[in-house]
Amino acid sequence: MSTASLLKLGVAGLVSMGVAGSALAADKPLAGITLNLASQNDQFAPVIAKLAPKFEEATGATVKVDILDYGSLLTKTQADFVGHTKSYDLVTMDIVWAGQYADNKYTVDLTDWIKRDAAEMKLDDIYPSTIKYIGQYDGKQVAFPFAGYAAVLAYRKDLLEAAGLKVPETAEEFVETAIKLTNPDKKQYGFVANGQKGPAVAQDWLQYNSQLGGSVLDASGKPAINSEANINSLKIYKELFDKAAPPGAVDYDWGGREESFRQGIAAMMETWSVGAPGYYDPSMSKIVDHVAITTTPGAKGMPVKYGLGGWGMGINADIDPAQQEAAWQFIKWLTSPEIQKEFNMEGAGSYIRKSTLADPDLNKKFPYLPVIAKSFENADGDYRPRIPQYPEIQDLLGTAVNAVLVGGVEPKAALDEVQEKAAKLF
Amino acid sequence: MATTSVGSIDFPQSKASGLRFADRRKLFLVALALPAVIYVVLVALWPLAQGIWYSFFDYNLLRGGGRRTFVGLANYAELWTDSTARRALVNTFIFTFAAVTIEFVFGLCLALLLWREGRFNRICLAFLLIPVTITPVVVGLIFRALLAVDYGFFGYYLAEWGISGPRGFLASTTAAMPVVILIDVWEWTPLVALILLAGLKSLPGDILEAASADGATAVQRFRLVVLPLLLPTVFLALVLRVMDAFRVFDTIFVTTGGGPGDTTNSLMVYGVKQGLQFFNIGFASAIGNVMILCIVVLCAAFTLLIRRADVRANER
Repeated sequence: MSTASLLKLGVAGLVSMGVAGSALAADKPLAGITLNLASQNDQFAPVIAKLAPKFEEATGATVKVDILDYGSLLTKTQADFVGHTKSYDLVTMDIVWAGQYADNKYTVDLTDWIKRDAAEMKLDDIYPSTIKYIGQYDGKQVAFPFAGYAAVLAYRKDLLEAAGLKVPETAEEFVETAIKLTNPDKKQYGFVANGQKGPAVAQDWLQYNSQLGGSVLDASGKPAINSEANINSLKIYKELFDKAAPPGAVDYDWGGREESFRQGIAAMMETWSVGAPGYYDPSMSKIVDHVAITTTPGAKGMPVKYGLGGWGMGINADIDPAQQEAAWQFIKWLTSPEIQKEFNMEGAGSYIRKSTLADPDLNKKFPYLPVIAKSFENADGDYRPRIPQYPEIQDLLGTAVNAVLVGGVEPKAALDEVQEKAAKLF
Repeated sequence: MATTSVGSIDFPQSKASGLRFADRRKLFLVALALPAVIYVVLVALWPLAQGIWYSFFDYNLLRGGGRRTFVGLANYAELWTDSTARRALVNTFIFTFAAVTIEFVFGLCLALLLWREGRFNRICLAFLLIPVTITPVVVGLIFRALLAVDYGFFGYYLAEWGISGPRGFLASTTAAMPVVILIDVWEWTPLVALILLAGLKSLPGDILEAASADGATAVQRFRLVVLPLLLPTVFLALVLRVMDAFRVFDTIFVTTGGGPGDTTNSLMVYGVKQGLQFFNIGFASAIGNVMILCIVVLCAAFTLLIRRADVRANER
């Protein structure tokens, strides 16, 4: 072959590579971009990590998922935001962090992007309560919901039937039923909840407190922690621990609580819907055929509302605009109807869309989805106030409620002390 | 060029290094020490100075965009008026005093038992050191699992037999502190024993033999000869343990989290919470500074006591 022919062949090769490259670039607009995601170690985290290569296939962007426990996630992401180190492009944000995120402008305000892409995102299909509570604060959308959890009541059908009791429909009935179902001689308890000092006991008590008519803040947004309703609900919570909970429950966090229910020690438990798939999994549960899930019972005469929790995804405000846009593409992809279905078929237990909760395949696999749908329609995501001071208030309550449960401190004295300290934070 | 003669060889001496030998030696020594000095300044003194500086500010990274407002001694006043901080301070003193005292008494007994050379003693010593090799977080997790009332090897039976109460020791307001002290004693007594044993082994044998020959009883030999000679080692063991026990964190954090209520909350646990959970840098710095001050005062008191005891022993 002559030199001229070789040259032509080389040029042709380069041109074809160029054409192929540009075609590839058009197909994969985010090629070469890497997104670092800091994720809470909840059920959704391994599923996101598993599905991330599909996003890369579709767009070219690689998503690296750093799975962290709650404390590490909080510390590492705060340090990243405060130090402007740009270690993470995307962060999973607990519903209760919204106030802090908005106050400190840690993440991009997504309001305009959501408006721009509303049709593409099929926004009407997403429960408004999830958008409102998981990420919306003070007029800003600091994160977009991708994992909504409903507070639900999980109970043992067999034990209730054997005792001739019906499923409690009010908070008062719940207390009565829990005490009636307790028989320490048989190691059978009517109720289980978190009692461990710290966020565990604070979050569970706040759930019961809300159902019993209590509230952390008053109408003006100031702490009202030692209100009559709160003192009364703490008395009831202690009564439940004294008369109906396994003795070790004063030291249970979420793991201990769920385990005691799955092992059949406790008959009723209020919990996040995300834990429900585990009750139906014979590899980890002894109650597969006896468990049922319903909405949480509220106090008599109270307006119907159900606790909402969960996680949103925020985009680090420090990263450059191109990276932010890529991160937004990922959020849109993760929250799209198709991926949400796949996400939950894989067991993420995280819902935001009406179509996902109504999906026949998912309903076949997880029969309790209508309960979540009902809860989302009457959701209250503010029973744990999403204000910047929430972490400190939660910590104060976590110590005080635990002190009451183990004895030695009266509910009123404990909540008086919390009120005094909480008032200084405002 | 000037030259220096050593034997028959002439070494050239440049004008630039026209320093005397003593000065050059000093410079050389300073140069040798410089990396260590820079390291200490960067890693210890600078953060310490920053910690003191921050403690005079209302400085929360999560509020107001991390603005600093000078508040003088308000953080220290807050530490005094804050009931949680006061309880943490008292708990830390109780923990330190009880743990170090028990560790010292047990450690001394163990050291005396292992003093004599022998294969059995050497084997015992090797086993004795196992707790020291385990990281405190793991020790805490092991004890937490052992004492759990639902599944713990000890906790279950202690609850069944009515010894710990149905909720277990770690959930008891009266038993939780003794238990965390016990965990510390389990882990660190061997270290105290090892330090004291090293001291005992280095005691001059002739003095002990002379005391025996003079007819001194075992108790007299211990009180009048061994203990006075062992004082510097005792000082070392106590100071090390006091410094370490005063900043206890890991064990408490994983076993009780400072609970139930605030019964086992220590200054370090509280400080870490303020600093790394709430990012309340000003207040957390004040807590840290008070801890350093307490440790310095305690160690100075030990130094004085030991020196006085040493002088008294020499006078005899």
